[in-house]
Amino acid sequence: MKALQIVAYGEIKDSLAFNEVNKPTVQTTDVLIEVKAAAINPIDKSIILGKLQGLIPLPFPSTIGYDVSGIVVDKGTEVLDFEIGDLVYARVPQEQMGTLAEYVAVNTIAVSKKPGNTSFEEAASIPLAGLTALQSLEYIGLKKDDKILIHAGSGGVGSFAIQYAKSKGAYVYTTTSTSNVTWVKKLGADRVIDYKTEDYKTIVTDADIVFDTLGKHYTREAFQVIKKGGTVVSVVGPMDEQSAKDFGMTDYTLPVELSKVIQEREARYKFIFMHPNGSHLGKIKTLIEDGKIQPIIDIVYPFNKSIEAFTHLASGRAKGKIVIKIE
Amino acid sequence: MEELIQKIKSSIQLSSEAEDYLKSISKKKMIAKGSILIREGHNVNNIYYVTDGCLRSYCTDKKGKEHTLQFGIKNWWISDYIAIHTNESATLTVECLTESTIIEFNAKKLNGILVRFPEYEPFQRNLLERHVVSLHKRILNQLQLTATERYDLFLRQYPDIEQYTRNYHIASYLGITQESLSRVRVDKAKQ
Repeated sequence: MKALQIVAYGEIKDSLAFNEVNKPTVQTTDVLIEVKAAAINPIDKSIILGKLQGLIPLPFPSTIGYDVSGIVVDKGTEVLDFEIGDLVYARVPQEQMGTLAEYVAVNTIAVSKKPGNTSFEEAASIPLAGLTALQSLEYIGLKKDDKILIHAGSGGVGSFAIQYAKSKGAYVYTTTSTSNVTWVKKLGADRVIDYKTEDYKTIVTDADIVFDTLGKHYTREAFQVIKKGGTVVSVVGPMDEQSAKDFGMTDYTLPVELSKVIQEREARYKFIFMHPNGSHLGKIKTLIEDGKIQPIIDIVYPFNKSIEAFTHLASGRAKGKIVIKIE
Repeated sequence: MEELIQKIKSSIQLSSEAEDYLKSISKKKMIAKGSILIREGHNVNNIYYVTDGCLRSYCTDKKGKEHTLQFGIKNWWISDYIAIHTNESATLTVECLTESTIIEFNAKKLNGILVRFPEYEPFQRNLLERHVVSLHKRILNQLQLTATERYDLFLRQYPDIEQYTRNYHIASYLGITQESLSRVRVDKAKQ
């Protein structure tokens, strides 16, 4: 079968190649998915550039891609919840990475039936970004009337998070660039801050929660805009000490500056490491079928133009998700 | 089953032998919410008569989106008649939207009743005619009525169904988007 593979770390055009590879076979708890659509994410770019070599060491060549939607065409002997012919979507586990291919085998723990009211392309745009937002905002217990700042509202995670927060009845601030203000408003954000003309730190002063999708100085600044006792949840900032402990990093401590502001603000800081989860995708399926969340696609590329899709991703100008149609 | 037998008897003379035959080819079943009775791409052997609850038949287009063909509520029949007639695999999926009670008939044996008990034919013919009328009306309504008019008719045809269905089930039955369905409901509420 045809697959898009990473053959070396480096620039996108030099690192990716289409290869003919063996069709995967299923383990006892896997389903084999005939891929109809896959989506690409900023993490794919980081992998290609070699920024995650320490965390995710890859043998070359490796098929790339985490998000998928398609049809179950085979299943392992212990699979009970899925049947051949089921239409499904998933964020595949790290060891099964490789959705930019005609087929991918996936442990059913990561798989859900796809929303019935979406196309394959729309369904493929959801898993990684949707799980990141859902797991972050569910973990911190986002509730009605909470004031939340969601950074980068036009990105894959941000656009999902805005809609999820509104479905919970929260008041949503979000940041985006001038050209995206109108359409981010349409997602339901209550106050859209144009970061090119406004300083979000003067507008948001009493948030209950900041959802940090940017990292760097934004993680520290989040504590300036929450009220005392507020929460900052990050998917890109430094790991919190409990998460580090859970990962076996026993001597890890938070950066001093961050630790200081957390204490000053009597705040809670949580780092979320998104994990594949089929039952969470089942919850997202319901939210989408009920019309509470709309998949946001920037552009759909055919499979043979996948490398151009990665170049578009690298530009950082995508509004919503970049999807690749495999068939 | 008795209720169905009485229904049949109210329109035709049904012999006790034919009644026994009907009972012998049918099976009453309680079906859990979410169960799939017919799965697209698989063989279809049965026709279902709904005595309680709600079922839905739908097809999935090439893009992966579902389109609802029919809801099966109390006293309605549901199956994939295309698959049964052509003897091909199912093009539809029939799912259970709420806990339901059905009477399952083997399709071939149900057709066989006409040979063994010709007295059953007027009931079967009437059933088919009503089915054709219903389908013609659905096509004509789709061609000439507004979304609001189609929604009004839908509520009359399927009273109380909204307690079992999701918005996208209804929107895809009416051939409109969920956003349009919301607008139709808002407009109706204002009237």
